[in-house]
Amino acid sequence: MRQKGVAFPWRKMATQQRRPPAPPSPAHLSPDSETVDEEIIPNRRQPGLMIPDLFTQLPPVRDVLVTETSQVQDETVELCLPLLSGESEELQYNEHGVPPLDRERHVKFLHQCLGQLPGRFVAADASRPWFLYWCLSALTMLGEDVTPYRQSLAATARSMQNDTGGFGGGGRQLSHMATTYAVVLSLALVGGDETYEVVDRKAMWRWLCSLKQPDGGFQVCLGGEEDIRGAYCAAVIISLLRLPLELAPESLAYTGDGSVNLLTGVGDYVRRCQTFEGGISGQPNAEAHGAYAFCALGCLALLDHPGRSIWSYLDVPRLIAWLSSRQYAPEGGFSGRTNKLVDGCYSHWVGGCFPLIEACLNSTSGGCGAPAADDPAIAAASSKRLPPADESLFNREGLIRYILCCCQDQTKRGGLRDKPGKMSDAYHSCYVLSGLSSAQHQWVLDEPEPEATQQQLKGQAEGLVPEKTAGEGTLSSSPLSSLPGGEAVWAVLPYLDGLRIFDNTDRVRPIHPVYAIPQQSVRAMREYFRARPGF
Amino acid sequence: MPSKRKPGKSEASGASKPSPQPTTTTTITTTSATPPPIPPTPPSDDTQTVLDRAKSRSAASRPLDALLHQNGGALSALSRQDQFAWLAARIASRLAKRPAVASLTTTAGAAAVARLSCGGGPKTLKEVWKVVNELSLPLRVAGTTCARKRGYYRNGEGDLRVKDFEARWEKKVVVSCLAVESRCFRDRRERERRGHKEEKTREQVIVTEQEVLEETRRRKEMAALRRELYGGGVGKDGRLATDPEWDDVEPVVLEEPEGALAAIAYPADYAEAMAYLRAVMQAKEYSERCLRLTEHIINMNPAHYTVWLYRAANVFALKLSIPDEVAWLNRVALANLKNYQIWHHRHLLVENYFPTIASDPSTLSSFAAAERSFLQQILSHDTKNYHVWSYRSYLVGKLNLFGDADELAAIEAMIDDDVRNNSAWSHRFFLVFSNPAHASPGFAATEADPKVPAAVVDREIEYAKEKIRLVPQNQSGWNYLRGVLVKGGRKLGSVEEFAGGFVKGLGEGEEAEDVLSTHALDLLAEIYAEQGDKEKADLSLTRLGQKWDRIRMGYWEWRRKCLEAPA
Repeated sequence: MRQKGVAFPWRKMATQQRRPPAPPSPAHLSPDSETVDEEIIPNRRQPGLMIPDLFTQLPPVRDVLVTETSQVQDETVELCLPLLSGESEELQYNEHGVPPLDRERHVKFLHQCLGQLPGRFVAADASRPWFLYWCLSALTMLGEDVTPYRQSLAATARSMQNDTGGFGGGGRQLSHMATTYAVVLSLALVGGDETYEVVDRKAMWRWLCSLKQPDGGFQVCLGGEEDIRGAYCAAVIISLLRLPLELAPESLAYTGDGSVNLLTGVGDYVRRCQTFEGGISGQPNAEAHGAYAFCALGCLALLDHPGRSIWSYLDVPRLIAWLSSRQYAPEGGFSGRTNKLVDGCYSHWVGGCFPLIEACLNSTSGGCGAPAADDPAIAAASSKRLPPADESLFNREGLIRYILCCCQDQTKRGGLRDKPGKMSDAYHSCYVLSGLSSAQHQWVLDEPEPEATQQQLKGQAEGLVPEKTAGEGTLSSSPLSSLPGGEAVWAVLPYLDGLRIFDNTDRVRPIHPVYAIPQQSVRAMREYFRARPGF
Repeated sequence: MPSKRKPGKSEASGASKPSPQPTTTTTITTTSATPPPIPPTPPSDDTQTVLDRAKSRSAASRPLDALLHQNGGALSALSRQDQFAWLAARIASRLAKRPAVASLTTTAGAAAVARLSCGGGPKTLKEVWKVVNELSLPLRVAGTTCARKRGYYRNGEGDLRVKDFEARWEKKVVVSCLAVESRCFRDRRERERRGHKEEKTREQVIVTEQEVLEETRRRKEMAALRRELYGGGVGKDGRLATDPEWDDVEPVVLEEPEGALAAIAYPADYAEAMAYLRAVMQAKEYSERCLRLTEHIINMNPAHYTVWLYRAANVFALKLSIPDEVAWLNRVALANLKNYQIWHHRHLLVENYFPTIASDPSTLSSFAAAERSFLQQILSHDTKNYHVWSYRSYLVGKLNLFGDADELAAIEAMIDDDVRNNSAWSHRFFLVFSNPAHASPGFAATEADPKVPAAVVDREIEYAKEKIRLVPQNQSGWNYLRGVLVKGGRKLGSVEEFAGGFVKGLGEGEEAEDVLSTHALDLLAEIYAEQGDKEKADLSLTRLGQKWDRIRMGYWEWRRKCLEAPA
């Protein structure tokens, strides 16, 4: 049930630490600033709610000229403001003006999406595996036990697998990188040896080799487009299933001299996707987009320790500037591109970038770590050292407010959504909750052993040296399997700095910042395949 | 339950079994003071349409309504006898609709009916029947022209001449009969496939060659009749199963495993089309009919990547005209703005088409113009469609349109239209700075490229400044400006004065300080840092976090710490 007016010890502590001249009214916390032009003005219509005016007023700098972009932006703010300022009669606000997470209805909605879908879902016929992942992942974050789905998921996944490797959107559909990624993550979510055994790893490996392109990237399916999703999905699949990195001779990228493996050139491909704005586009030369930023960072975090790989291939200060620009006030949520509207799903795509960026900044080996690229310009850039991110780089409170006030479907349908006025769906339910999870937790990454990992990297490229695993203490029995980034050891904690505006029962489960599923699911699957060398 | 007969239905049965004369009408030969009204008898010649017939039947079955109508619709204008006759006709027709009730003979029953029908007692009812008998009034009344409204006659059938309508009806009956026979055949074949036995003889079900031949003939006949009746379009179910063209294909039906998750209850026509698709894909068939099948499926589900790739394979295998396929694709794209498989398909078409026209400048330029015109059209519906813009940048690269004045003009027009359209700004950056005429390959987007001519950099700086002046808080313009400065290897400080114009009295107190653009202040902070003025940089960042852009407080604080970090 809702607890109201309970003083939590850390909140009190934080208040005392940050605000020595005890303010007369309960003040909103802002890190490191003693004078902040921010007041918590008691809401006129809903007296007693403590909502910073940042979330109830229009931003201070606005232009006069009206264009299509500013029109839809103003309309969106108009839709969000009543919900954010405690004025909606449909919402039950706590003292911070934040409604509870309606677990029960969301859970019901998600179970429904896993069941029989009506005929109008025919347009989703090529993306059924996504429904599996979205629902199972969202249910897991909501604390539901998804193991009862083991058998039915295994059967469903089998029906989507092709003999030639990978999973399609349904039976006898071409295998696709995205649907394969979704199936593999779903299998990891429900867990169980028999479930893992569904995957034909040898065929999967061959199939991945056939998608590898000479320029370093991956096609999403045979004859399909090449984009950064392909690279991220491939890295996740290779890492979770511990596939060998060697290339099959049939691969387009195969050179015959062993100088190229499945992940050669992936980092450079990602680098070519960074745009002048600092964000990442889906393929080189397009516009920076939030979803691809996550794919890029996730992919780099698997190639090597994020403290090294992100530095090596990206202009980190520009990327951070761009990511940070995605958060808007008063909405509090993220947009996917410059001058586009907030959308709940970017809570994950953009919000999920911050743990990786923070890991990169906080890594001691980070800024001055040996660059992996041979490019002197990059080496020079990465020799500049950036300060660690001690405080959150984005406004967690804003994101949580947007999610809980604006993204929950208010009808009996349940589920989470893009923004007020939109229908909830499985996709948004998953990524809004993922975003909520990253706003409610913080991740700390163990330091890599610089020398060992360097050797290991080199060795892997040559296909000689057995991989050494950081943290997990055992030697891999498969000489050429898996990625060093996959061995990175992450630790998760609830985020406790500052004021907690949501009830403690509304904290969802943490998910791994790279794989976007719980850490134990990642560990269990990787452990299972560690014990199975070769195919 | 008594069978209910509605006037409309009686007309329906009349239409299905046409009889020369409506049987329910009789002329009135009575003692009535007024001569019985005779409805205008329409000419029963060849020109009569089905609807005319319905109207005349309706009128003929309501002789007294016509009389009433002649008198301006007022019952009081009729003689008492006619009034009673009119009333009696109404009551009797209502009673006729309830045959079970009307046939009650007991007094109590008759009384109930009378109350029900006209509020009178059994005596009144007796009177009613007397008048009805005397005047031979029709008991069943034909439906009125509302038949058209209810869609009884579909596809303009109501305007057909009676003779044609009847002929058409007969054809429909024939098709139905053939469909039943065909269904039986398909059931038998299915039982044969599953190895079932005949129920009576317990012998294995075997479909004989003769039966197959008959079915083939049947399908041809059905297809011909259907084309005649309905033109090109066909009914929903069994579109392919009864189409002789697909006779030789054994559909591959997939059954979902038990308890399959997120299983879709496919509409019958989609499921059928997919079953045929699997079959032809498996057989690697490339043909006109496969192309039509992909179109059929794409219409139902444009997000089906497998079908799109198979379509492309067909187009290439059959060496079809790429411009024709592009024209077809344009229609599909306009109907499915958010779909992105369309754009990969287009990409594949261009990859295939380009080598054939690469050496022909005029075809090349007209192709580029046609593409641009279509892209402009689709972007006018959805100005920031990511997939359209990605395709556009691909096209520019493929056809080398970097220096194309029309392309640059089109983008400028879009920025003029909505100066906040970041997709258009991004495309401009690509056009200018990825132009192989002066860009060096291999540089990252956020790196300086020494080969870009100074004039180009100057021009782009001016362009960005001009647009920023219109809307100073537009991040697109500032990102562009900063991007140009970096790419051109200029110091950020070269725009200090410009950026400073949007920030007044920084740190001089609440009254004096005014910021017209947080992005200007952000850039100023960088400029000050570049110049080594940490204090001013710190002040700028502090004010951003405290007042002007509070949502990004965490970021501005981190930037402040960057000032301290060793360079």
